[in-house]
Amino acid sequence: MKVEIVLHRDGQTEVVEYDYQKREPREKPMALDVLLQAQATSMPDLAFRYGCRARNCGVCTIDINDKPRIACRARVRDGDKLSPCATLPVLSDLVVRRDGIARQMQGRLPSGGGGNDLNVEAPDAYHDLTACIECYACLDNCPMHARNFGDALPETVAPEDMPDASAGYRWGNPFSLLKLQRIRLDPVTSVADKAAALENALELGLDACVDCPGCKCGVGIDLKGQVVKELLDATDLTS
Amino acid sequence: MTIETEWRDYDVVVVGSGGSGSIAAHAAAESGARVLVVSKDPIGCSDTKISEGAVTVREVGDDSDTQAGLSENLQMAGGDLPLPSITDAFAEDSKVSYDTFRAHGLRPPINAAGDKPQAMPLPMGGHTKRRSVGHANNGVAFGHAGWQAVIQNAQIDYIEDAWFLELITDEDGAAKKVVGGLIYDASGGKLIAVRAPSVVIAAGGLSTLYFPKTDTMRGNTGDAYAVAARAGADLVDMEQVQFLPFCLASPPSYEGLLCGEPSTASFLGVLRDKDGKVILDGVYLRTRAECSSAIMRAVEDGRGSPNGGAYLDMTENMKPPLSGPYFYRFLETSLPSALKNARQALGKKAGKVEEAWEVRPGAHYMMGGIRVDAHGASVSGNGDGDRSRGIDGLFAAGQAMGGVFGANRLGSTSLTEASVFGNRSGRASAEAARNRKSGSDDALFASSIDTIMKRFGQSGSVAAATLKVQLQKQSWECIGPVRTADRLAKIDELLEGWTQQLDDVAIPAYTTWNQAFIEFEELRNMLDTAKAVAIAAKERDASLGGHVRLDKGYISAFSQPYSTVVRHEANAGWQVQRAARERTPLQRIVSYKIQDAWRKAQAKALRLMPMSVKDKILEKRYRAIMGASGAAPQVEPGGVDAAIGEAA
Repeated sequence: MKVEIVLHRDGQTEVVEYDYQKREPREKPMALDVLLQAQATSMPDLAFRYGCRARNCGVCTIDINDKPRIACRARVRDGDKLSPCATLPVLSDLVVRRDGIARQMQGRLPSGGGGNDLNVEAPDAYHDLTACIECYACLDNCPMHARNFGDALPETVAPEDMPDASAGYRWGNPFSLLKLQRIRLDPVTSVADKAAALENALELGLDACVDCPGCKCGVGIDLKGQVVKELLDATDLTS
Repeated sequence: MTIETEWRDYDVVVVGSGGSGSIAAHAAAESGARVLVVSKDPIGCSDTKISEGAVTVREVGDDSDTQAGLSENLQMAGGDLPLPSITDAFAEDSKVSYDTFRAHGLRPPINAAGDKPQAMPLPMGGHTKRRSVGHANNGVAFGHAGWQAVIQNAQIDYIEDAWFLELITDEDGAAKKVVGGLIYDASGGKLIAVRAPSVVIAAGGLSTLYFPKTDTMRGNTGDAYAVAARAGADLVDMEQVQFLPFCLASPPSYEGLLCGEPSTASFLGVLRDKDGKVILDGVYLRTRAECSSAIMRAVEDGRGSPNGGAYLDMTENMKPPLSGPYFYRFLETSLPSALKNARQALGKKAGKVEEAWEVRPGAHYMMGGIRVDAHGASVSGNGDGDRSRGIDGLFAAGQAMGGVFGANRLGSTSLTEASVFGNRSGRASAEAARNRKSGSDDALFASSIDTIMKRFGQSGSVAAATLKVQLQKQSWECIGPVRTADRLAKIDELLEGWTQQLDDVAIPAYTTWNQAFIEFEELRNMLDTAKAVAIAAKERDASLGGHVRLDKGYISAFSQPYSTVVRHEANAGWQVQRAARERTPLQRIVSYKIQDAWRKAQAKALRLMPMSVKDKILEKRYRAIMGASGAAPQVEPGGVDAAIGEAA
């Protein structure tokens, strides 16, 4: 089975065709199997992320035929193209820099319960949101996130214009909105902190969601209904 | 191109950002320290995040749940290898430590009447009391909380995509102290030399030595143990790797993932070899080591399954008309992730338990680790060890530390280990930093920096990733679930050879995310860790805990228990010795042995009964276990109730 792997290394880009050797006649390999075999054989320096191999840890996301997929549970077919997530800057091969997302959340996540009793049950909707594995598949086609890169993809941005990930990205994304909505659903959150969460959503660019057809979650959370709509409805953006 | 070095100063450096690392960083920051978290994976993406998410919290069941009771519970389960001072600390802090996760958004089910978290309905994993709390979304919920503890705190700086390569120490006569560490910042494409009086190692386990025969995170390359050992720290119980007997052997994408525990095989589950011959019956009453041993012995004799395992046959459970449906419900609810893995991997028929499953043991958890006291501080010397003889300023927490579990774990204890010793080591490291603020001599970093700089652009004829695969294969063969003196000698020789090859590994010169360099450093850690496991396994000259010595007997419960202590000395190389442990009173051991024999006799009698009688008895039993809800109490992979035979 032949699979294209897009390599970025030391400033160079190259597309390599890798011939996957099936280990069982009926094997239908996942993308991660291809990458692991390539690294163990002809491409020992191949860079890619992975963790649990069971769709729990959220680190192995790559693009397959230009769409984000969780590599450990995405089957590949002959001729498929594996490339790094187009929504984040590439570090090496299939590895993208992720930390600009989490860093934008510093100072926006109230902790400690604000003196409230912790022994309160959270609603089901709260747990629906903590099912997020932080795979960042939701960045795909997100107009809010694209603002960080001049309403485009990072690959179109010149190195000197690239936003500084280590400072946290200026504009948000479905993941950061999910984190904020979760705070609003937490029965332990104070009234002031709930209001602050909404302010933070606006500050991160919630207005970009107004006419957006919606985002897609890598593990099936209803981002549009349970996150974006809930936040928008609490503002006067859509009225 | 030469890689550049950036200098930084902190009070406390925490290596790892999983359950224990995130809590340690939070605790150190709360104690007033300036903290740097160094994480090679994205923040919070650890074994904690992929765990079953059940945690031991004392007193959530009832108020009679004493500290002494929980501590003794851990001692007995661990074959008397755990340190009483450490199990006492675990028992004392389990409640308040858990609240650190809750303060960052972990929301358990609540027992409103008792104004506390809701305990699971039955005592879990060999516990004598109901004291486990389960969570929606399992470990992922803990992942979110730990992530928030690191991300949110303005006193904590963090770098992800960063490999902590080496501890830098200073020697003052016989005493050693931490002065900092050296980090490869892969996204920044530079080295970071960090001056710090305290370092907390919370970098997880070593199961990747056995990849793909493991159900844990890729990052478990033994970094914690290797980095500590190279700095001269003691490691304890390094032979005590916990293997789960029933992991998937195929298809390749699912290899190593958990598909059951002895208890989930239920009353009529057996193990068979490739010819269909029963190689172990009464599986549900067996220890993991007994199951692993039966499978691996069949493999040794050429009677193994195509992928080097055996068949877990639970189909008899399905056949009786009354109890059959109960069994399937039991399987579905007692370990949901395991059945899900099996269904996805093995197909419909296997998913309905209409055929046997091919299984093979897999590495799950490291019970040994860096030798510490009850505050996570490095210790050395006889018996329980002494902090004044350890490395001053070195701490460990979570899977990186030893001394909590010894030869076996109770269920739902790893997340408690993470929070209790995360908190303790975090506080202790901040205190140590306050007492020893003095600047360090940058010259102490020079030789390590020089060595690492030269690796970038090293010419050679082999690839680290290739050697890693060879090492993983041989680790399974020689220091895996079955071991012999010959194999331990063989791995020694192989490790020696691979270590010599390190200078012949090709590493390009580019500095941003250089995978060849990353593979090289992880290989180096895996080689040192494998050496520590091998030398401890040699000293442990009989079967105990999760592995089996094919050439020796089992260690008697009546003999004097001991832990193995391994260290690496600059001049003398690897050394191993024994540290004496206290034995559980004889009376208690005898009473356990009698109970165990009685259980096995009952199980045998049941199997021999006619189907109709058996069916009625089993139906009654399932009803008793599953109660009105029709769901079995969940078991924890690695927990003692998931292997009733280990419930000492």
